[in-house]
Amino acid sequence: MRGLHAYVLAAAGVCALVYGHLLNPYWMHVAIIAMFYGILAASWSLLAGYAGLFSLGHMAFASLGGYTSALLVQWYRLPIPAGMAAGVVLCTLVGAGIGWICLRMSGPYLAIFTLGFAEIVRITFSTEDEVTGGMAGLHTAPLFRAATDLPYYYTAFGLLVFSLATLAVIARSRWGLFLRALREDEQAAAASGVAVARFRTLAFAVASGFAGLAGGFYAHYVGILTPSVGSLDLMALLVVMAVIGGMERIPTAVGGAFGVEFLQEALRAYGQWRLVLFGLILLGTMRFARNGLLTPAWLQFVRLGEIRGPAPARRGVGQEGSGP
Amino acid sequence: MDYFVLQATNGAIIGVIYALIAVGVTIIFSILKIVNFAHGDLYMLGGYTAYYAITFLGAPPLGALALSMAALFLFGALVERLLLTPLYSERTERKDEYGLLVTFGLAFFLRNTALIVFGPFPLRPRSFVPGVAHLGSLTVTWDRIFAGALGVALIIGLLYFMHRTLWGQALDAVSQSRESAAIVGINPRLFNSLAFAVGAALAAAAGALIAPVYSLAPDMGVLPNIQAYVVVILGGMGSVVGSIVAGILLGEAEGLFTAFFPDPTRALAYTNAFGVLVLMAVLLVRPTGLFGRRHVRME
Repeated sequence: MRGLHAYVLAAAGVCALVYGHLLNPYWMHVAIIAMFYGILAASWSLLAGYAGLFSLGHMAFASLGGYTSALLVQWYRLPIPAGMAAGVVLCTLVGAGIGWICLRMSGPYLAIFTLGFAEIVRITFSTEDEVTGGMAGLHTAPLFRAATDLPYYYTAFGLLVFSLATLAVIARSRWGLFLRALREDEQAAAASGVAVARFRTLAFAVASGFAGLAGGFYAHYVGILTPSVGSLDLMALLVVMAVIGGMERIPTAVGGAFGVEFLQEALRAYGQWRLVLFGLILLGTMRFARNGLLTPAWLQFVRLGEIRGPAPARRGVGQEGSGP
Repeated sequence: MDYFVLQATNGAIIGVIYALIAVGVTIIFSILKIVNFAHGDLYMLGGYTAYYAITFLGAPPLGALALSMAALFLFGALVERLLLTPLYSERTERKDEYGLLVTFGLAFFLRNTALIVFGPFPLRPRSFVPGVAHLGSLTVTWDRIFAGALGVALIIGLLYFMHRTLWGQALDAVSQSRESAAIVGINPRLFNSLAFAVGAALAAAAGALIAPVYSLAPDMGVLPNIQAYVVVILGGMGSVVGSIVAGILLGEAEGLFTAFFPDPTRALAYTNAFGVLVLMAVLLVRPTGLFGRRHVRME
């Protein structure tokens, strides 16, 4: 039976929905934050893992989306979903702009440029304290007024499923193929008819839009937004999550985000040592298992239920597991 | 007017420090063809090494500087051997990506380790040269003058090393063509290590010199790292002279920006943003920099 893994995933998703209320408040918060990082890791994986565009400004987009939504709600009394939508639109536009500006830049130059963008966003948000509250933080309107975090849990779950579905459709379509062609060799891709400029801009716009969505949700969930959301430290943590899991596939990147967030809570007693450990794991992963620690397990999982025995001759070697 | 001159002087001194950091980024880039995202953290380590040498070993200023440079030289060579060797292997795909992620991960690791080992509180070693100098109406601490002067001396020493010694010329040869250098008997592996180690030692020197001027903190390397990219990209990747000129230019520009910014309470915060803005503008207008050398352009 092929495609068994899809049913297993669906079953796991249903379990997460049905039994979600059994989580105690602490672990429910952890799960919500893990899903927030899951959206970010998935969209960063589309940008860095598929298209090879190493943006270090992804958390800056999350913070931009969060501040946009929070401030619009505060100033114009917009309904919160409208504020979040405005944040997504703004992030998509700014992302497309950055993608378009960076068309000529490759690898490290792009990383430096986006790092600069992230620093400017962070410095502006923390310096203009009359508007944003500066380092003290901006109080945001809560999305739900409920006794428990359960509505947030369902919302985060819905947003995660929506993001993953959209990103998976993009990654599996011809567009995903074009993006991977860009990563391997831009000139060869252009020679084969890939509209390089259009797809680089598109990858940036889509990924930034999802970062803005995650940021908007986060802003109205935690209730207080500080410029450190867009800091280099959190960006580094996001890179750790995606790379440890395996940034070239969306599910492994999300798995990395869940795993790292879970470890971060489970090892809370060790304080700062956790981050040192993550740094070491990241270096070890890059040095010895560049595809990510979860990738082999995921490839096994995708083949779940397939008939073992002599492999069908017509499947190409590079075929398996190329989709998410 | 006095404030203006003071900012210009401080700008020149900070510019020399920027140049020291940036020259290391350039050397590493021209040999290993990677941008070192952990350079600011090597600078941080250099500062702390000097602090401990002064506080616990009672080292004299020059001794602390030398010790810190030597320690980071060895550390740089070790890091290069442990983490960067896949860059030279034919089997590694997308080396840009590898170099970027590994050095970015190293920065994350070093910064968080420093937070535990050195603590989050700012530290400041004893002054190298206590007191202040009065130059006309200008008052500058001797520490700043000492930092600027030694920075200039180190840069002159580096230029001598790069252009007048056999090892420096071999380094330049490897940067121009790894294969041709190997043919004439230069061992590229040795020079890969040497380049990273020299870069780390220069960053350490910058950190040690700045320690008595600014306080040390585990995240002190984040902004200078970005300033170093500003300098390197302004001066042209791979050009040592370009980095020196651009470093001093950036220091001056930032000093004057602080002096002229209309709102003094925000001037300092936006000075950093200003440097980054310069970086983004240069990347857009002239990605090879002002003094870029064609053969070390990033593909």
